Amino acid sequence: MSFTKLAAALLLSSAMVAPAMAQDNMDKLSNMQRTDATFTYVEQDGATAEALRAIVPHINVPDGFEVSLYAVVPDARSMAVAPQGTVTFVGTRKDKVWSVVDRDRNRVADQVMDFAPSITFDVPNGPCFSPDGFLFIAERNRVLTFPAAEFFFEGPDPAVGVVVAKGELVPAEEESFNHTARVCRVGPDGKLYISLGQPYNVQPVEKLEMYDKIGIGGIIRMNTDGSGREVFTRGVRNSVGHDFNPANGDLWWTDNQVDGLGDNVPPGELNRQTEAGQHFGFPWTNASYEIAEYKDVPRPEGVTFVEPQVEMEAHAADLGMSFYNKSSFPEKYHGGIFSAQHGSWNRTTPIGARVMFTALDADGNAASTEVFADGWLDEETGEYRGRPMDIAFLRDGSMLVSDDFAGAIWRIAYNPKPAE
Amino acid sequence: MRVATITFLGGLMLAGGTMAEATGDRDAGRKLANQCSTCHGREGFAKIPIAPHIGGESFGYISSQLTAFRDGTREHEMMTVVARNLSDADIANLAAWYSGHTVEVDLKQDPARAPEQCVACHGADGLHLLEDAPNLAGETNIYIDTQLKAFRNGKRVHEIMTPIAQELSDEEIRAIADWYAAVGLKITMVE
Repeated sequence: MSFTKLAAALLLSSAMVAPAMAQDNMDKLSNMQRTDATFTYVEQDGATAEALRAIVPHINVPDGFEVSLYAVVPDARSMAVAPQGTVTFVGTRKDKVWSVVDRDRNRVADQVMDFAPSITFDVPNGPCFSPDGFLFIAERNRVLTFPAAEFFFEGPDPAVGVVVAKGELVPAEEESFNHTARVCRVGPDGKLYISLGQPYNVQPVEKLEMYDKIGIGGIIRMNTDGSGREVFTRGVRNSVGHDFNPANGDLWWTDNQVDGLGDNVPPGELNRQTEAGQHFGFPWTNASYEIAEYKDVPRPEGVTFVEPQVEMEAHAADLGMSFYNKSSFPEKYHGGIFSAQHGSWNRTTPIGARVMFTALDADGNAASTEVFADGWLDEETGEYRGRPMDIAFLRDGSMLVSDDFAGAIWRIAYNPKPAE
Repeated sequence: MRVATITFLGGLMLAGGTMAEATGDRDAGRKLANQCSTCHGREGFAKIPIAPHIGGESFGYISSQLTAFRDGTREHEMMTVVARNLSDADIANLAAWYSGHTVEVDLKQDPARAPEQCVACHGADGLHLLEDAPNLAGETNIYIDTQLKAFRNGKRVHEIMTPIAQELSDEEIRAIADWYAAVGLKITMVE
């Protein structure tokens, strides 16, 4: 509880400081003033919703599970379900964060509108919540926080604080528009963890030192007021999904691997991190695969690369992931990891566009990985019907799957038919 | 300043007109476009926000950009990988395929308010007015924003765009990006 008060106090002070930095409507909002911004609403009942519902029968799930369209959400990327379940915030790789509301709790969203329309967002891919209801949004090169967002989202001018000012997450010249989709989580230590993909296929050697210092090609953590920033994870290529194991606090994360080396190498990764500062090999290695460009570049001294827990199929593009810590799914899924594969973009035969499940053993290691849901890829034509990007869970234990290709959030619930 | 720029462009436009000629094989380009379509669509209407719409671009623009990606003078996490194995003929064929589609735009804004630095080459509606300029209509604002910043910081270099972008603030860049992103775009595939 003392964390709550501390965070609130810090936020207040950062809000007071913010006006020094003039940008869009941030000054006004930091001072709790109003702007003339208005909402954009996304229609939930029209032809788009109908076309999306026609995709549902193509999606395969294990017996007893049921798929439905939860919401029409253009460009839907990473998701954050509010602690009290009133709203789900959904990031995009464009300029919107969507608030998705199911007021009547019939498990179909009835209102989708943009969050904080008064703010000029720039690739606000990554929303995440602290347990006490602060929403964080990690953009391409800025991090904002919104206290009590699940109540303030109904107005166009929610209170906002700056965690990392624009241009201070990474140097502006290291911004790109591909490997700069951030994700975030608030860890069990109350710190904010943010992934920083490196903006190349393989980064040039001369960038290594600078990237290592800043944490580009890594995951950084900081206090929720932006202080105490440090590099938590090293040796990452472009991670767009991480979550903490609620059982022991380990950080697990996916990684996307090098393109252009062939259809079947290198493998995608699911990694387990047990302590701060561990190095996972990139750009020297991708799992067991050695990167040719770095063959003769000296490896960091005194460092043993941590091998991935799971090698996923090459180019399937493992992105968002979440531990299952709810109860309505069958026992075998409890405490395991659901992860989204976005699907390949340049493999001769496309692969991916599905939801994977990884079970853990008693030691907290990966025990087995299987396909949980697929069918978003039309195997005959090689065309996508949809591309899963992130996984989240509603309070009733059902799963949400965001899809930035179809512009949808799918819901998968365990709903076995009663025995005859 | 503005007059000088336009005069300069006028000269280039003439040069461009005599230089670029579509000589690729569209059938061959159509087949090669299989490897582009996950991101750019078969007709050139982008499927992901980070990719630009390339259907109906000029033959010269598509071929110059693919060549730049191949030769390393323009870099991108994905394009650098896919372009590096393209031959000159492949590039011409792809440019022929994608440039041959039909583009329609729907400008709802008042053209008088279009960004004045841009209209001479990109039009108020975001359709290119010279061979070497891309269409901007309907691109994701963040794509345009990213490219303007790349010109400003030197990651992408172009004799006209570099000096223009160097004069722009972040806010001006975003305003320009928002203008063109708001233009409606329809691309019709021409077989």
